[in-house]
Amino acid sequence: MRIVIAEDDPLLREGLALLLRAEALDVVATTADPDGFLEAVDTHRPDTAIVDVRMPPTHTDEGIRAAVEARRRQPGLAVLVLSAYVEQAFATELLAHGSARLGYMLKERVGRVQEFLTALHRVADGGTAIDPEVVAQLLTRTRPGNRLERLSPRERDVLSLMAEGLGNAAIAERLFVTDGAVHKHIRSIFAKLDLAPTDRTDRRVAAVLHYLESGARHSA
Amino acid sequence: MPVNDPTGGEKPVRPWDPIVRGRATLDGLEYLAGGFGTAVLVLIALLGVIVSALACLVGVGLLVLPTALRVLRAIADRERARLSRWGPEIIAPEPLPSGLRAALKQPVTRRELAWALTHGSFGLVLGLIGITLPLYAARDITYPLWWHLMPPGETGGPGMGLLEVNGLPDTFVIAVMGLGWIVLTLLLVPVIPRLQAWPGRRLLAAGPGVDLALRVAQLTATRAAAVDAHAAELRRIERLLHDGTQNRIVAVTVMLGAARRAVARDPATAEAMLENAQGAAEQALAELRGVVRSILPPVLEDRSLSDALTGLAAASPVPCGIDADLPRRCAVSVEATAYFVVAEALNNVARHSGAGRATVTVRQRDSRLWLTIVDDGRGGAGERSGSGLAGIRHRTEAHDGTFALTSPPGGPTTLNVSLPCGL
Repeated sequence: MRIVIAEDDPLLREGLALLLRAEALDVVATTADPDGFLEAVDTHRPDTAIVDVRMPPTHTDEGIRAAVEARRRQPGLAVLVLSAYVEQAFATELLAHGSARLGYMLKERVGRVQEFLTALHRVADGGTAIDPEVVAQLLTRTRPGNRLERLSPRERDVLSLMAEGLGNAAIAERLFVTDGAVHKHIRSIFAKLDLAPTDRTDRRVAAVLHYLESGARHSA
Repeated sequence: MPVNDPTGGEKPVRPWDPIVRGRATLDGLEYLAGGFGTAVLVLIALLGVIVSALACLVGVGLLVLPTALRVLRAIADRERARLSRWGPEIIAPEPLPSGLRAALKQPVTRRELAWALTHGSFGLVLGLIGITLPLYAARDITYPLWWHLMPPGETGGPGMGLLEVNGLPDTFVIAVMGLGWIVLTLLLVPVIPRLQAWPGRRLLAAGPGVDLALRVAQLTATRAAAVDAHAAELRRIERLLHDGTQNRIVAVTVMLGAARRAVARDPATAEAMLENAQGAAEQALAELRGVVRSILPPVLEDRSLSDALTGLAAASPVPCGIDADLPRRCAVSVEATAYFVVAEALNNVARHSGAGRATVTVRQRDSRLWLTIVDDGRGGAGERSGSGLAGIRHRTEAHDGTFALTSPPGGPTTLNVSLPCGL
């Protein structure tokens, strides 16, 4: 895995590079601002980028825009966006053009190295990684009268993990159930929410997130 | 809520109860004496204004007239405070603008001049009458005791010259007249102060309609500025916490995570990572301290504004003298604003002015805090040149303060800020 890091805080930038290199991952460049990042992407043609949301000059959403631009220049680039806080609008903007090879996570998850690496690999392998916090926000924002009310507690758990981007096997592992049980739950969820069933996780994440967002809006 | 207490109900007002009347008379005397005092002062100030206005004809007055007006304003403010103590509160107007034309344009100034005319004449006379009434009473009543000390043939004074005093019995007639004076005192003294205060209450209060509308508009604007300044301040703190402290702590967790992974595999690397983590944690603490200081410098709370400013001057790269004379403390928010005004101004001096020396003067006058920051730099400072001056103005106006900058090319630059003390 060839990785470019864009993070304006030097300590964090070096910390990330150190951590990834210690895991025998190939960090080809570290950059401190959006321009440097795009240049590094053009030069090194990495397959994965880790991008901080807030970067100079305005420290607002430069990272998101840089990530979108980098993917326009190099389709298929996997991007994991790191943010110090959860802003659902950022996630929405990022996932506007599909959710494959995209991730949006809280910075502090990096400290849980195993989970971070799993998410990074999932994104690099074409999947999606959405921070549980984002999913939790979407779920809590839905109001009574929503179709989500029809889901059983276990189905809600499965829905959350689906939204985070986990595949069936990973969901089964997390919930200590069999693959078959997860499959059954997912079919039931899709039926209850009137979603077209699919097993491709990327489409699934997009569909679920879209549903959660529009559901939140309708009930608002 | 009315209290229905049969025993302790309010006593009926009895205006002719000698104690009530006596107290009212004493109060009246006090008010009259105060009014007499301001009347004398205002008469002098009025003479000053007239003389300097006449001197304007030969030019010199233009320099003196603003001072004369400021003296008049100071006396008017004293009268406002005095009247506010025993009647409806009279709100003090904005401080006088620095320009003479602007000062004369203010309706407040014109009303004050009208008040000075009436109070300096009628007010003075009324005060004189009120104060002399009890003196006459005392003199006439005691006349039988000391009439024999008077040189013979001297019949002026007591009895207003209507009576010729030829023996002790005559003096008793005068003593009876003294009782008349007492009745007059009791009748008039409680009433005269209201008469004397009337022009002040009319003319020194905020003018009708327009004045107040302007003031409301101004307050609305400054309140918006206060909210803006507040939001800007919150944004600044958020930025500091987010880009500084929070990032450091994230770095700590990253290093710790990496160290835990490395601990079995490669203890030496783990040790290095732990050291990094510790360093990052220490940085986070240092930055947190900085943020806390920048919200409200502890020295401001523990010591005084002068001490806090002295600390600022010591930290300034441009040599800076502090001349602070602050007998009383102001509201915390006002002192904090003053602190940041000076901090930002000195920061500007260091960054843009090329000055070799700066001076900060702080004074307390008319329950306002006056800050003057002067530097001998190249001048030409403006709010548009990306300096912190716009920020200073916003912070000042948010506290209903005034802001004035003079910075001719070539210097020197003078920044004048005044803030209401808020106490």
